[in-house]
Amino acid sequence: MSIELLVQALLNGFGLAMVYVLVALGLTLIFSILEIINFAHGEFYMLGGYITYYAYALFGLNYFATLGLAILTVGLAGVAAERLIFHDLRGRALNAFIVSLGLLWVMQAGAQLAFGVLDKPVPSAFSGVVRVFGLVMSVERVVVTLSAIVLIAALYLFLRWSRPGRAMRAVAQDPDAAALQGVNIDAASALGFGVGCALAGGAGGLLAPLFAVSPAMGALPVVKAFIIIIVGGMGSLPGAVLGGLLLGGVEGLGALFMGSAAVNILGFLMVIVVLLVRPRGLLSGA
Amino acid sequence: MMRIRASIATIAMVALVAAGIATRGAAQDKTLTIGVLGPLSGGAASYGVELVRGAEMKADEINKAGGLKVGNDVYHIKLVSYDHKALAADAATAANKLVFQDKVKYIIGNAVGATCNAVQTVTEPEKVLFSFVCWGTNNLGPDKPHSFRAMLSQWEVAEPFYRWVKEKHPAVKRVALISPNDTSGKDTNTAVVKALKGLAFEVAADEYYERGTKDFYPILTKMLATQPDMLDVAAAPAGEAGLILKQARELGFKGAKGWTAGTNPFTIIGVAGKDAAEGVWSPTNINVKSDFVSPTVRRFGEEYEKRYKEVPGVIAVANYAAFDVFTKAMQDARSLDTDKVLAALTQKPFDTVWGKLVLGGKETYGIDRQFLYPVVISEIRDGKVVDIAQVLPAALKK
Repeated sequence: MSIELLVQALLNGFGLAMVYVLVALGLTLIFSILEIINFAHGEFYMLGGYITYYAYALFGLNYFATLGLAILTVGLAGVAAERLIFHDLRGRALNAFIVSLGLLWVMQAGAQLAFGVLDKPVPSAFSGVVRVFGLVMSVERVVVTLSAIVLIAALYLFLRWSRPGRAMRAVAQDPDAAALQGVNIDAASALGFGVGCALAGGAGGLLAPLFAVSPAMGALPVVKAFIIIIVGGMGSLPGAVLGGLLLGGVEGLGALFMGSAAVNILGFLMVIVVLLVRPRGLLSGA
Repeated sequence: MMRIRASIATIAMVALVAAGIATRGAAQDKTLTIGVLGPLSGGAASYGVELVRGAEMKADEINKAGGLKVGNDVYHIKLVSYDHKALAADAATAANKLVFQDKVKYIIGNAVGATCNAVQTVTEPEKVLFSFVCWGTNNLGPDKPHSFRAMLSQWEVAEPFYRWVKEKHPAVKRVALISPNDTSGKDTNTAVVKALKGLAFEVAADEYYERGTKDFYPILTKMLATQPDMLDVAAAPAGEAGLILKQARELGFKGAKGWTAGTNPFTIIGVAGKDAAEGVWSPTNINVKSDFVSPTVRRFGEEYEKRYKEVPGVIAVANYAAFDVFTKAMQDARSLDTDKVLAALTQKPFDTVWGKLVLGGKETYGIDRQFLYPVVISEIRDGKVVDIAQVLPAALKK
């Protein structure tokens, strides 16, 4: 087996890992602030996909403008979900778990009714391939990966330097202390949920032209997102990036050596090993 | 005297009309419930949607014509359909619901091999007549006398298709296959590999993926490293087949493309894009607008498009034909008893949308429960589906 093939396999895995990291970051952000595991997170990803389909594929809006629209709209949908559904469930993990499962089914069934059950293709926004030293990747995937990296960096800067971002971190660390310091917990929670969903919407918008959109499209990325945050460490941004890269690498090489059907097992094996060796994840608290 | 005659005539006419109304009233009281199963959501949803629509069209046709006359009774047909999401466990649950809750004796329509096996665990012991488009050798057999396949499967299609490839495209020597990792996929690849070896092709790759996969770069990297002349997306459903072809093109594949089990190339063009779908050969699909198909299929296609705003694939036509065959057999048997209908079904060919439809397949399955009709090979050219050849399955030649 040539080195070229191995590197191509790794590149394949890493390529889309950054998009799944976006989904994972949204999930972990919501958990950090509201202590809610949102099982309907994949459905917000799906919403981003459909917004891209309608705005970009049907109405011909510019691709990046569409992406912005998907992020904004899904973010607002997230704020609405927090206000209307999850607000009173903060810290009540079991209730929130059941409600989020219900929301998953409602959103999926709603999408089936509203958009139909069949896959809807979204035309490629960028054509051509990039070839470097015999390695191949479509321009579209390069743009998607770079866009995901930009969004991750933007999230980092927002959380690190902006006032609302710092308020969200404060709530995540200690809600009572944050409240005593004058942080509006309700606003920070709603914003946290909105930003988390916006990231999922952005990921859906990024992957829509690559994979087409369908009501059930949220299932796979949310499973990958769970693997990423368990491996990387719940609540850790660098951990999510590391978890994404590890999952991408394992899946890329796994498909080469073991076949595609075995790849899904590898991610879960990684989770088992990490939970046994370092139960809080590789970079928890980072 | 004249007045008495007129009165008698009037009374007779009123009696006749009343009897007619009474008969119609009685007919409306009788309902024949027929089940339809299929994946109505998820990656294989296009199969289920076509199954339901094919059944709907025939049922509506019958109902609009006044109902189905079986013996002295006239039945209004009611369809009950359930989504099993291409999952065997859900299919078994749905079959149980149909048979024991809805009390159906006929299930006309189902797709995806493993789900058919699951449904048969309910239908065979209960003597429920079951017609499907699942691809799997073990879906038909002497131990499953109540089961019928309404669409040609890989075992009928692969050999004549690759014989045609060999004759018309001799440069193709090495073929790489990819299918979903389930009964349909494995059975399809097995049939294609058998046909390829029998025709002295080389099998460059024989791969499987999990249904629902979206990113095929990893597996395609491995497959394309074997340098195949042709990539066959064998049993992949339209959405996934389109993604495979799109991503294979991105990875630099420029060889021939086939879709042995391809059922609706119109969908593949949408997902893969015109360029990546260009040149795909498909022997299973049917192009309802083609000159190769009968006028009845063309008419069905026009009606379907008018009603659903989409062009039907072979599954819709096959289930429409199956519905036709089963209801005609009920009329021939003058009964809804499945033993009698089964006997009527296997006695003679039926005139259907396909033309004369023959039941065969004993050589492959040990029992004649496979619907047989000619294979039409199509090619995607410039975003359109063009039929280019017609070949006959070996069983139909006999």
